[in-house]
Amino acid sequence: MSGSRPSSRRFVGGLALAFAALVMLAGSRTALAADPQIRAEVNARKLGVEDELILTVTLSGSLTGREEIVPPDVRNLDLEGPPSISTSIQIVNGAMSQSKIYTFRYRPRGVGYGDVGPIRAKVESGEKVVAGTAIEVVAGSILPRRRADPFGADPWGGQDPFEGFFERRRAGGGQRPPDPKIFITAEASRARVHVGEPLLVTWSLWTQASVTGLEFAEAPSWAGFWVEDLSGPKPGEVPKGERATGPDGEPYQKFDIFRKLVFPAKAGKLTIPATTIRLGIPRRSGSFFDPTPVVETVEKKTKPLEVVVDGLPDAPGFSGAVGRFRFSASLDRPTLPLGEAATLRVELSGTGNLKWLEKGPELAISGARVYPPTSKADLSTTESGISGTRRWEYVVVPETVGALDVPAIPFSWFDPSAGKLVTAESPALRIDVTPGGAGAAQALAPTSQPSARAAGTPMPLRDDLDADRPLLPPLSPRGLGGLLGVVVLAHTVLRWTGRRGGGGSARGIGSVRASLADIERARHDGTSKETAAALLEKALVDRFGSVDDEGAGSEGERAAAELLREIQYIRYAPQLGDYSAKLRELADRAEEVIRRWG
Amino acid sequence: MIRDRSLTLLRLLPALLLLLLAPPADAAPADDFHLAAEALRAGDAPRALSLYQGLAAAGHETASLDWNRAQAARRAGQPGEAMWALLRARELAPFDRGVAREIDRLRNELGLEPAELAPSPWGSARRLARGIRLDIVAAALLLLSLGFHAVARRNRAARWPLRALWGCLLLGTLAASVVFAGHAGRPLAVVARADASLYESASPDAAPLGSLREGEVVPVLAESGDWLRVEDSSGGRGWARRGDTWLLVGHAGR
Repeated sequence: MSGSRPSSRRFVGGLALAFAALVMLAGSRTALAADPQIRAEVNARKLGVEDELILTVTLSGSLTGREEIVPPDVRNLDLEGPPSISTSIQIVNGAMSQSKIYTFRYRPRGVGYGDVGPIRAKVESGEKVVAGTAIEVVAGSILPRRRADPFGADPWGGQDPFEGFFERRRAGGGQRPPDPKIFITAEASRARVHVGEPLLVTWSLWTQASVTGLEFAEAPSWAGFWVEDLSGPKPGEVPKGERATGPDGEPYQKFDIFRKLVFPAKAGKLTIPATTIRLGIPRRSGSFFDPTPVVETVEKKTKPLEVVVDGLPDAPGFSGAVGRFRFSASLDRPTLPLGEAATLRVELSGTGNLKWLEKGPELAISGARVYPPTSKADLSTTESGISGTRRWEYVVVPETVGALDVPAIPFSWFDPSAGKLVTAESPALRIDVTPGGAGAAQALAPTSQPSARAAGTPMPLRDDLDADRPLLPPLSPRGLGGLLGVVVLAHTVLRWTGRRGGGGSARGIGSVRASLADIERARHDGTSKETAAALLEKALVDRFGSVDDEGAGSEGERAAAELLREIQYIRYAPQLGDYSAKLRELADRAEEVIRRWG
Repeated sequence: MIRDRSLTLLRLLPALLLLLLAPPADAAPADDFHLAAEALRAGDAPRALSLYQGLAAAGHETASLDWNRAQAARRAGQPGEAMWALLRARELAPFDRGVAREIDRLRNELGLEPAELAPSPWGSARRLARGIRLDIVAAALLLLSLGFHAVARRNRAARWPLRALWGCLLLGTLAASVVFAGHAGRPLAVVARADASLYESASPDAAPLGSLREGEVVPVLAESGDWLRVEDSSGGRGWARRGDTWLLVGHAGR
């Protein structure tokens, strides 16, 4: 009968679709419930020196967003840069799966063999390792150009091809079914918070069809916020969409795809900008004989979110902590001998902005040295906020014997639910210090986890703190530069004052040598009487000026004046004999006068 | 005159005795140093590390303190911090062979190349200048040149004071320039934590770009709050947390 044919085909189609959905659901449930899986693959194990090696590491399963891949050690390869990272979410037939893909690109260094070492992934449960691989590099380029995989992860696009065929036949053949509606919303849990108070932001996908490859096209800018990622289902939890009615009154499947906990860092009216998310919508090509699907990539944008952030009270001693907490302090050793140290532990536990409270409370103990604290934290992030404990450990070294009072330590935080500052104090403690030698020989009880090395292994420690301390402290470059400048300035001043004073000459030290050089030239054989006398006269005048017996004041000037008189006599005397000996004598006396008084 | 000198000496004697018999100016750091060593030998590496950190922060950092700190860090399973402490010790005592051997040993354990500990060529100049005290030599030569200048003024005819003046001035300037060269270049930091990451921006929610290798020395390109912009051995640039990368030279250490 003609009426039974369409119903039987519909039945077969429905059965096939149900079977396919069952298989996919089972697979996705298995994947999501299990620990994250790591898979690594390379594009080729034999490649040319001009080719590129692409290492793709895929983390799939229950991801929390805090996973990390450690780049492997490689040989005969150079990493071309930091890895590209992409996160994708696939929602197929009501089931959601996540994967994070790291792509490393390497260039071979030369022909020969190389290898990619084990790849380690740090996940919530610990560490996952996948073995590396050896590669062979040959000359030239041997890798073909990659072709796009037409099938992707879901060749049927999540739909039963038979059903689609039948649907098209009923519609008259060749007509495209109406486009499914898809949009994305971003919602904040509250519209008004205090600085440091958490706000849950959820991105939801509203869809009427299967989608693939969900990722941020543009990562949101979080100016003015600290952000904690809450993406990913909990281990063992299989997120499912829920049926919901959209604003247009039509039915949708709604999935919460991304969640973040944001903490405003400043007061005022803050805006979380619009977010653009890229996703793929698989469509069939339209022909029964060509089952190749086409994935249409679209981008959906959310609206910006506005949040009013109230400021915190400005009170002295306020630590900046926001939340609900308990504050306490304890000592590991209430009694100890002088010369040993105790550890004071100050703890802040509860829910709030614990992650950003690095600075510990100020602590001073009379009669003891207190060293800056080490800060530790044991925190977990949930939708309601960051919970756990922040601990500060102070090492306290008593300096005197007797009872040492550790004062009560105050700590303030802002409680948003009460809307006010809360101050708590740790109880006052006491340390009883007994007499004991400094650096006592008795062993100290370890207060933390034991050492990694075997006990008994000799420790090459040095005993003298100041063994290699230099006698003179180092001179900083700035100080040395300053000294150089001062020395240069001092030289300049000395040279300048040397020119102006001393010896009655305006020509300074250099002119003494010049005068002596003149005297030396006067001694040369072959120099005429007049020239030699002129040189001697010039040398003396340059040093002492044109002095005469009446104007000479100092002993040097009187000697110079007497010499000048004799030189001038020889110079202007008629040539009546050989004056060489006389000139040499005058030259010697002039040199002596200049050296002595010049 | 001899009696006057004797009386003067007698008057100075009590002061000299006080100087000789007075206790060292500050005995507490040495006590804490021993205390830390005792704690380390007893197996309490975290306490020893805390004491060493306190001593260094109080200005008592020496190569011996950094050496012991490195041993404590290794005991505590923190080879990155140990490498930082050893490199600090090398800065303070450049010719300490024990430190050099230990650095080499730790470098091999961490799988680092020698170049990954010396990204800048100026480090060797700085250590050489510090090791042979070129700063003091330069200062002494410069001051000596002033002395020779004064001698040349008194003995104007002699040539040797001028030659000595120029010689001291040139040598002193040359020595000072080596000291300046050693401090040229960018500040350096050591990756002290095993899980240190490089981020695309100085923000806690920035996307990670990759991992830094523990113990590697990286040049610091910029600083912003609790973040340092560094460049790793492969040339990748990004921001790292101060808690993960500790400054080595260029600024006060941790």
